[in-house]
Amino acid sequence: MAPKLPTSWAQLPPTFLLPDALLPLIAKRGVKYGWSTAPPRNKHARFNQPTQGIPKPTTGPAAALARKAFTLPLRTGALAVKKGMTAIYDAESGKRTACTVLQFDRVQVVAHKTRAQHGYFAVQVGSGWKHESNVTRPLLGHFAQAGVSPKRFMAEFRVKDENGLIPVGQILGPEWFIEGQFVDARADSRGMGWAGGMKKWGWSGQPASHGNSKTHRAMGSSGASQGSGSRVHPGKKMPGRMGGHQVTTQNIKVLKIDAEKGLVVLSGCIPGPDGCTVKIQDALKKPWPKVPEAVLSGSQVIEPLKAMA
Amino acid sequence: MPPTSRPLACWKSLLRSSRHQKATARSLTTYHHSKPASQTPITLPWNALNATPHVNRKIKTYPPPPSPAAKFKEPIKDLHEAQIAVLDPTGARSSLFSKSNPEAARVGDILLVRLKTGDPFAGVCINIRRRGVDTGILLRNELTRVGVEMWFKIYSPNVEGIEVVQRAAKRARRARLTYLRKPKHDMGSVQNIVLQYQRSRSAIQGGGQNDRRGNSRKKGKARR
Repeated sequence: MAPKLPTSWAQLPPTFLLPDALLPLIAKRGVKYGWSTAPPRNKHARFNQPTQGIPKPTTGPAAALARKAFTLPLRTGALAVKKGMTAIYDAESGKRTACTVLQFDRVQVVAHKTRAQHGYFAVQVGSGWKHESNVTRPLLGHFAQAGVSPKRFMAEFRVKDENGLIPVGQILGPEWFIEGQFVDARADSRGMGWAGGMKKWGWSGQPASHGNSKTHRAMGSSGASQGSGSRVHPGKKMPGRMGGHQVTTQNIKVLKIDAEKGLVVLSGCIPGPDGCTVKIQDALKKPWPKVPEAVLSGSQVIEPLKAMA
Repeated sequence: MPPTSRPLACWKSLLRSSRHQKATARSLTTYHHSKPASQTPITLPWNALNATPHVNRKIKTYPPPPSPAAKFKEPIKDLHEAQIAVLDPTGARSSLFSKSNPEAARVGDILLVRLKTGDPFAGVCINIRRRGVDTGILLRNELTRVGVEMWFKIYSPNVEGIEVVQRAAKRARRARLTYLRKPKHDMGSVQNIVLQYQRSRSAIQGGGQNDRRGNSRKKGKARR
């Protein structure tokens, strides 16, 4: 059978045989450099067949996901607001534990990131509430598609696979975490403004005397390079803006959960000032917690939201 | 013969006809066929105003779910109250350091803290750090001629009781009496005052029974 040639206007019957509607309104030039959906005709493709027993590639999206499989949490984290620090006493032993109080505020799943579409699995979570007049139209459409109210804070939590993609619109409460489990908390640290090298990097400064003149807190040498110090190496610690960047505190124990008030009480301190938004997720360096099925399914999803999702 | 019927057999003729058609198509034009006026819809200004424009169409927004955070705005305060209710059921510890209590202990007073485990500690109170259930006091004394300062958490279950040994002669005009660390103002050891107080206490209670446990909670007021 003769192969079928692509039909273009060049192969069409003469114009006098065609009806008016089929004619282009504007005269077109022939497409010289077109594109095709056919697989690329690579000369070497026949050598890279997966059936030929060559090892799996160590680069590329699949290999990257395989590398991350061990350290990606099975389930999403949540956003919370840092309310402040206090202490908790154990009435029996009398032990005092310093703790940080976090509060959940309307935390909901807004969207998913999938391997097929985005190259990785993640859950987009929003918290708080924003008036619709303060939200741009593209974002409003995004929230409308998810069936959730506009959110003040948004964050993405990577998960290992599609089993971690809980339904869009599901509400995450403090009971998402379990008393006694360990979490990682990350937040933007307190901004210190512009700080000198001594404060920012803990340098010891320069001597007060021995002929020193007016340079007591300055950084010393910025390092030698190419024999004579012709340049400063990239990454050299210098004075400048301090704080205000994201800091993660790992392996923090969850001391207490209060679902009614939306509270999670964490042991010890976490980065950021009071009132900042904190991202908490299962600790990477501890065994994954055993979570009851009811928690994962989110039994308290509001009906209309559930229907939309 | 039409050029598409047997394409492989007549490449030359096919290309030739294609070339000819390309030349004609370059100069191809179409005529504008105007529709009769009766068929075109009349767009009047009020029609255009009433019609919903494609852009600026209202996007549906959903109401936020109920928020526990809006209902419980001071969770730390609630936590404090809940814990104080457990750790200090009689309210004695709270009232001893309450700002509203005129007979409360103040900085400058000599306080004696009795512990569940370990010796009691007495000293001048130089700081009261009020933080709900985490409230602490800083006592200063001199032991073996060395100045010693100790923090005590007043709600800690390890603190059995706090007694006011001696009131300050005058109300301190500072919140924190850190100047007491200076040699000029240092009160030195308060051990003698505490011993005298303990002797008089045991005399009032009637010699033999030296049980301080009984009124550990009423120290300040019991004293006056």
